[in-house]
Amino acid sequence: MTNFTLSKVDLNAFIKSLSKNFDVYAPVKDHVVDGGSVRFKVVSDAKVICLSENAYYPLKELFFRKKEVLFKYSEKGLEVPVKKVKSKAILGIRRCDLHSLANQDRIYMREVPDPYYIAEREKTLLIGYHCKKAEEYCFCGSIDLQGNADIMLYELPGNKFLVEVHSDNALRLVESLKKIFKKTDIVIDAESRKIEGSNRLQKKDVHSFYDNPGWQEGIDKCLSCAACNFHCPSCYCFNIHDEANVHNMKEGERIRTWAGCQLKSFTRVAGEHIFRDTRKDRFRHRIYHQLQYFKERYGTTLCSGCGRCIRFCPTKIDFIDILNRM
Amino acid sequence: MAKKDKKPVVGFYGLTGCAGCLLSFIFNENEIVSLLGMVDLAAFPFIKGKQGDKEFDIIFLEGVVCSNDDLDMLKKLRAKTKILVSLGACASTGCIPAYRNFIDEAKYLPLMYEKVHRIKDKDPKPIDAYVHVDFTIPGCPPNREEVKSFIKQLILGKTPRLYNDPVCVECKLNGNHCLLDEGKICLGPITRGGCDSVCTNGRFECWGCRGPCPDANYEAFIALIKDKGHNSRTLKERMQSFAGLKLPDELQIEDAPDYVG
Repeated sequence: MTNFTLSKVDLNAFIKSLSKNFDVYAPVKDHVVDGGSVRFKVVSDAKVICLSENAYYPLKELFFRKKEVLFKYSEKGLEVPVKKVKSKAILGIRRCDLHSLANQDRIYMREVPDPYYIAEREKTLLIGYHCKKAEEYCFCGSIDLQGNADIMLYELPGNKFLVEVHSDNALRLVESLKKIFKKTDIVIDAESRKIEGSNRLQKKDVHSFYDNPGWQEGIDKCLSCAACNFHCPSCYCFNIHDEANVHNMKEGERIRTWAGCQLKSFTRVAGEHIFRDTRKDRFRHRIYHQLQYFKERYGTTLCSGCGRCIRFCPTKIDFIDILNRM
Repeated sequence: MAKKDKKPVVGFYGLTGCAGCLLSFIFNENEIVSLLGMVDLAAFPFIKGKQGDKEFDIIFLEGVVCSNDDLDMLKKLRAKTKILVSLGACASTGCIPAYRNFIDEAKYLPLMYEKVHRIKDKDPKPIDAYVHVDFTIPGCPPNREEVKSFIKQLILGKTPRLYNDPVCVECKLNGNHCLLDEGKICLGPITRGGCDSVCTNGRFECWGCRGPCPDANYEAFIALIKDKGHNSRTLKERMQSFAGLKLPDELQIEDAPDYVG
């Protein structure tokens, strides 16, 4: 497809135009309410957008909701809530998060089509952003990244973006905004698609490390707080519980919430048996699911190399460093 | 719970405490009429005139055992009920009143207690130090949702369960920024959650009022706080504030001088 350029001065006009049909989300840095961290928020003005830092919490919460009412039950039967969702346009998604979103789509749209996820996800316009340089804990260069945005933005000299268009819908949209999207012959070569300093993970095949003593260093520092799970853009596990209506106990709701495999409660079953009772079992399991089990099943790693599970781990357990030393 | 047509006989009582935990039941203001409809409320300070002298199915008990009178009452209540629930931090961990266990008597007696003789009765302790407790609803005060959910589960014939994950879980689900990463001493990772991370939602660090999380990694946590440049005395005092008596006996935090008020 043809490439375009977009001047950063025109980003605001682009957002205004998107806002007619979409809730426009973009990374925003807020020192007052979010402790200076970057979050995906609804924006109406380009000047609040922060593209220089990856978001503190991943995108998945916009689709795979932290709390989803699956249905209401009563003596009359079940009632599935109808979701009224405004289409989302999400701007500034990095390659790592696009990879994770593709994995979430695989699980919740194709493996087991999930109407709640699909309702949130369909008609979403994804506008990616190519970050040039890895942050301290990033390792996406060691991952075979999948997933595509409808529109991809690359930094160009002269306060501009190069715009790659990857879907028909996006092309129609871009072509309808002739004043701000200018056709260009510039193309992004393979070298410019790389992200500098992101090749940290050298030991990509982890299957022989299962009993390696090297894990202990990470296990000793692990607080089992599941921050890694909740900051992970790829983790997709959940719990389900029923909540009875206090005014009529024959009615209630069945609710789905996020779950974290680093918690003992994650593998607790009837009779109080806990399958992964030790910190060691839980610590290794997450990394094996991310780098091996998912790949064996679907051909791609669950992990996207975004490094959030290290950056936002209270004790900063760098499992990449641990693996590299095995 | 019991037979279908018979409502459980429920009592609320308090030992030495501030009555705040009893209020956590009343704070369910939109549901309290329905909640009261499910039970036969036989005792409740302030709202039930006569503290009926009958047999109970469930007694919710707040407060800490600080005196001989407290202990006598606790033993009587235990004998009168099938299920004893410790309601709130004082009954469950000893909470702030139990901080007295960690201070030299000579430091606090002259301050204001010289004429209060019962202070010499005994060291403050949670109720499970003396009697069998069937269920615990922790927190200073407990989360009103948890109190409501507890009663609902008993009525439905389920076994209410204690939330075992650390505070961090709800804190993350609430979208907060990590206070440890901001350099604060937040006890979230070693503290039992279930509070909906109410303190950290307001950007105030967790002080551990719900007691230790059963899966806490103390060694890693203490090392982390020291790494951030805090001294062990500050950390120890904070960890002892709400749940000192429930910390593992073998826990080693560098010894610190006594706190003087």
